[in-house]
Amino acid sequence: MKSEQNAEPAVAAGLDAKQTHQVAAFKYELPLTTLRVDPTARFAAAGAEDLDVQLWDLDSGTRRTLKGHPSWVRSIDFSPDGNRLYTACWGGVINVWDTSSDQTTPVSSIHAHQGAARCVRVSPDGKRLATCGNDLLVKVWNLDDGELLHTFSGHPRHVYGVDFHPANNHLVSQDLMGGVNVWDLGTGKHKQSVDASVMTGYDNKFAADMGGARDLTFRADGTQWASAGITNVTNSFAGIQVPIIVLFDWETGKEIKQLKSADDNLKGIAWGVRYHPAGFVIGAIADRTGKGELWFYRPDEEKAFHTLKLKSAARGLDLLSDNQRLAVAHADGHLRLYRMTADSAAADEPDATG
Amino acid sequence: MYSSPLNSSALGKTCWFAVALVLIAVQSAEATRPLHERVDAAIGCGDPEFERLAAADAGDAAFIRRVYLDLAGTIPSSDQVRRFLAESAADKRAQLVDQLLESPRYARHMQYVFDTMLMERRPAKYVKADQWQAYLRQSFAENKPWDQFVTEMLTADGADETNRAAARFLLDRELKPDPVTRDLGRIFLGRDLQCAQCHDHPNVDDYLQRHYHGLAAFLNRSYLFTDPKTKQASIGEKAEGVVKFTSVFTSEAAETAPRMLDLPPVEDPPMADEPYKVKPEKKKVRSVPVYSRRLQLASAMTDPSNAAFRRNIVNRLWAMMMGRGIVEPVDMWHAGNPPSHPELLEMLADDFAAHHYDVKYLLRELARTKTYQRSSQYPPGAEIAPDDRFAVALQKPLSPEQLAWSMMQATSLTEATLQDLQAKHRKAHPDDDPQTVEDPVWQEAALHDALKGHVASFVDLFGVTGIQTSQFDASANQALFLRNGKVLQSWLTPQGARLTAKLKALDAPQLVDEFYMAVFSRPPGADEQQQISEFLARAPEGRDAALGQLVWAALSSAEFRFNH
Amino acid sequence: MRRNQGCHPHEHLLARRRLLASTAAGAVGLGVLGTQAQAKQLQRQEKRILQVFLQGGVSQLESWDPKPGTLHGGPFQAIPTSVPGIHISELLPNIAQRMHLLSIVRSINIKINDHEQGRQFMEKGRRVGQYPYVGAVASKYLTPADSELPGYVHVSSRGLRDTAGGAAFLGARHGQLKLEGIQPPGNLAVPEGLDPVADSNRDQLRLQFNQRFVERRSKALTEAYDASFHQATKLMGRKAMFEGEAAERDLDRYGRHDFGRYCLLARTLLENGAACVKVTHHGYDSHAENFNFHLEQLGEFDKPFCMLLDDLKARGMLESTLVVIYSEFGRTPKVNVRYGRDHWGSAWSIALGGCGIQPGAVIGKTNDTGTAVADREVDAGHLFHTYLQAVGVDSTADHDIPGRSIPIGDPSTEAIGELLA
Repeated sequence: MKSEQNAEPAVAAGLDAKQTHQVAAFKYELPLTTLRVDPTARFAAAGAEDLDVQLWDLDSGTRRTLKGHPSWVRSIDFSPDGNRLYTACWGGVINVWDTSSDQTTPVSSIHAHQGAARCVRVSPDGKRLATCGNDLLVKVWNLDDGELLHTFSGHPRHVYGVDFHPANNHLVSQDLMGGVNVWDLGTGKHKQSVDASVMTGYDNKFAADMGGARDLTFRADGTQWASAGITNVTNSFAGIQVPIIVLFDWETGKEIKQLKSADDNLKGIAWGVRYHPAGFVIGAIADRTGKGELWFYRPDEEKAFHTLKLKSAARGLDLLSDNQRLAVAHADGHLRLYRMTADSAAADEPDATG
Repeated sequence: MYSSPLNSSALGKTCWFAVALVLIAVQSAEATRPLHERVDAAIGCGDPEFERLAAADAGDAAFIRRVYLDLAGTIPSSDQVRRFLAESAADKRAQLVDQLLESPRYARHMQYVFDTMLMERRPAKYVKADQWQAYLRQSFAENKPWDQFVTEMLTADGADETNRAAARFLLDRELKPDPVTRDLGRIFLGRDLQCAQCHDHPNVDDYLQRHYHGLAAFLNRSYLFTDPKTKQASIGEKAEGVVKFTSVFTSEAAETAPRMLDLPPVEDPPMADEPYKVKPEKKKVRSVPVYSRRLQLASAMTDPSNAAFRRNIVNRLWAMMMGRGIVEPVDMWHAGNPPSHPELLEMLADDFAAHHYDVKYLLRELARTKTYQRSSQYPPGAEIAPDDRFAVALQKPLSPEQLAWSMMQATSLTEATLQDLQAKHRKAHPDDDPQTVEDPVWQEAALHDALKGHVASFVDLFGVTGIQTSQFDASANQALFLRNGKVLQSWLTPQGARLTAKLKALDAPQLVDEFYMAVFSRPPGADEQQQISEFLARAPEGRDAALGQLVWAALSSAEFRFNH
Repeated sequence: MRRNQGCHPHEHLLARRRLLASTAAGAVGLGVLGTQAQAKQLQRQEKRILQVFLQGGVSQLESWDPKPGTLHGGPFQAIPTSVPGIHISELLPNIAQRMHLLSIVRSINIKINDHEQGRQFMEKGRRVGQYPYVGAVASKYLTPADSELPGYVHVSSRGLRDTAGGAAFLGARHGQLKLEGIQPPGNLAVPEGLDPVADSNRDQLRLQFNQRFVERRSKALTEAYDASFHQATKLMGRKAMFEGEAAERDLDRYGRHDFGRYCLLARTLLENGAACVKVTHHGYDSHAENFNFHLEQLGEFDKPFCMLLDDLKARGMLESTLVVIYSEFGRTPKVNVRYGRDHWGSAWSIALGGCGIQPGAVIGKTNDTGTAVADREVDAGHLFHTYLQAVGVDSTADHDIPGRSIPIGDPSTEAIGELLA
């Protein structure tokens, strides 16, 4: 895997999402559960259906296995410099790893939640860590000393996703029932409730709720956030519900737009969402049949302007810092890189579509 | 073991010797005597206690209620009872039997009885219930011979509409070897071979594993085929496949060709060069072999050498009329559970076969017997005779359908509904022949359509899914439905042509008389006249309000619940 | 050739006699007690069954047979229990504290992956054929003569259209009284506008009709019919019991959700003499999102079930109540692409305890990855015998049905002897 060294332009030259194609694949023996690429695009870390974290060096393609979780890893984030890796597991443990050394055991470990820790996010300044989980709590930790800074309670059901606002010291979290809370980290108080109940459903036949933010991310300018998950539950026990990504306006807390598959019959879950600096949104979907989709959506358009069919379900999505490549964690155990440009074989051709 | 009509199990209790004499010496003279007389002769034969224990004749009122329920599936109306009681013809009972057998209610009732017997109230799966019921009704209306009827059911492949309904027995059992084999044995041969599936029956000496698998072998090559285009299910068959079985107790293994109990196996012919008429092609085509094992089933089943086939059906029809099989339970026929009257059963079976499996003939003859027409009350001073003596008429629980139709008849819902339907028809079709609405066939069909929802709700609550037994059982749920349920309560509201409205317009003696005729199909005794008058006089809310309670008490009584 | 293993008529007679003898001995032992104590003691002699049916097929790996960190182990951890050496899934923390009251069978292979067939096999102890469910058998042989309730009651909000209520040839009175959740049975109230005196008068008249009808007639059918009215009247008398609001302190403990209320109702029914109460908890058929759904469903199941277990114990009823937690099958070890587990009848578990069951035991085991039974394989036939023998019914005897000799349990299998106390 060759490294791409064009980090400076915010919007990469030659970007053409419609021509997104696979450029690399890294195989692991078990289905992957989630992934994250570090902000310098050196590493991709993924969880799988086992107790380990797989850390790939994207330049060399070598893989390290990090051991120290009591359960499957659900969520991953990196420090801004990429030297620290934070992983959250179903056992409620947050592990901190040093990616700059060859160490394969955690540097430190926090038992952050009773039951699963479903999401971990590093603050934009790299000093704090937000986590949430099945104990219905959202917690914020000081990364210097591991001190617990805030414990936010108020979610009535499992908290699935959390993310920091990029600039103004707030936190957003979303639970199973589509309850979204905005927390002010300055005052340590609840600021606002947002309704995302479209992203939940009660399965009548089986008497259970399904929902939650499977991924939650802010736009870089802080004006919006996006949440990935499901809607229109018919039979969730067979995986029959509609994958959805919902965009929310930061100022008003109102829903801006719902993104869905171009294929009306597709059922599954949206597991990943990213804002591209060029203004479009990318979604990663697991189809219940085991295949997947990548959606490319302009927020002001009704339909996705491009859908890339994936041969294996997507369970995690990240955008590399070159803004050209996407990393996807797949249910077939592969971490694949896709490039949003014309195929390299045709790389010399002028970009026809713009 | 049933190769001889004089099989050893007959030796136990009765008069095989006398029968043998009859058979040998006076066979020709005997055969000319009507069957119903021969039945009565055989019932008490060799039983010195019989006359002392035997009940007297039931009387005309008890007879009309009983025979209406057995042949028309409902109690008679009060008018029908009155007319019958007033009739003076010496053969009026025989005439009534003939008349009921020709009525559309007979075909409907037999449709219910045989639907329950053949399908045991399983939900319709591949053949629509309506289609199947129409087929049954039509078969009884035209009095299709039983052997022909069974042949149709076991040979139909369901591939085209003309034989689809007949294929329901096999199709709705999904051609699954276990239920199909078991039910072939139980329903057509009177033998529940289920326990012989995995080993020779642990408690029944003569149910062998090879019996079960011999039956299974007729159908082991048949399968449920679903047409990829129409999604319609039908029966396909392969040209090869053998049945092997192993005892779970002894691990002995064996293989069997299709075979009807202990009759010789039906060996396959040598495999043809081209074994298929229609070749199997994955799941796309319904395969049809040149030699079909399945088609051998009906002929082996109905072949005269297979006495179990005719014995089973006469035993079942006997049980329908008399309240108990000569072999009881009707599907547990084996040496340890012999017929109570083996010679009688033999006679019925042979006579039935000699009359070309004529169901109406057999029912007519049974209804004419003294045995059928006895009272359900034992003689004063005598003790109760055991059920298997047939000395006293047995009480038969009404089927859910009989109960529903009888309650609707008793409360005059039937009559009121019919009047409405007739009026509606006349209004909607002013040019139609005015006689249309007087046609019994029109009336039966119209009433059935209008009231079948009620029948279905009784079936839901009082019916049993699965093996039907003659055992009576009642649950608290059923009693709560009768006691407090809205349906029955609404039939008791005194409005229109309802019974309670009619009673309201009458005075004491006529009221009680009409009430008894309508609900119990008999006139009241003097003590009953008095008892009811007192009940009405005592009613705290007055006579009219008590009429609903009066009718309710009668509908909920044992006298109403049973055919007696 | 005949094979009569476990099924000889002579043995049946003996077995019946043993059954009677043990009852008699119990009665003799009571002679020294006062009448009131005697009544209480007698009540305690009665045995009953509580079935908790986890409909859809609970995952053995997320419940009784966790294998964390193995190929198919899933994300959940195993936790220690009150019995040293026994670990169960972290999803059952309350049960873990009460493991000494229960036992686990980890080696069930029913070779069936179909809901209906699996359920039927688990209920009837037979793969094919029309046989009564455990609950109907309990109703027939355990219901006290003067019981105020039908013997077999099923509390569920779904799946009540179970064919014929499971009674088969035992007859409708032993079939399930199906309760739609905590809704009282239908038709419990006297028809509107009918005053109690008139209601009683009409019932008296019904009895007069019956009295006249049985003159010189066999009384058996009339009595059976009348018994159903009697049973109905008793149920009507229990209207308040069905309609009664659960106490706040009970709801605090059991939870205010449906299943908590069902467990409370089950307690009331068991206390009032039901021979078998089945409570169905729905929604384990997790072909997708197995882990989130098990988290939710078992999270709802664990606490109320334990409250019920505690209450049975506190009331001295646990030693006379067999408690069974079961499904129609387990779930595949392999996790599918939807994070689901599929139907799996070949290596799974149930838990049981109380009356007649050795507590704190684990019977059998599966291999390291949970894909096959490794030791002491049993199926639903063994379990059926075990349940009934635990409550003192000789499952090797024949049913008490005229004209038929039908073994209560499948004669080709037997009880799990080492599990019986």
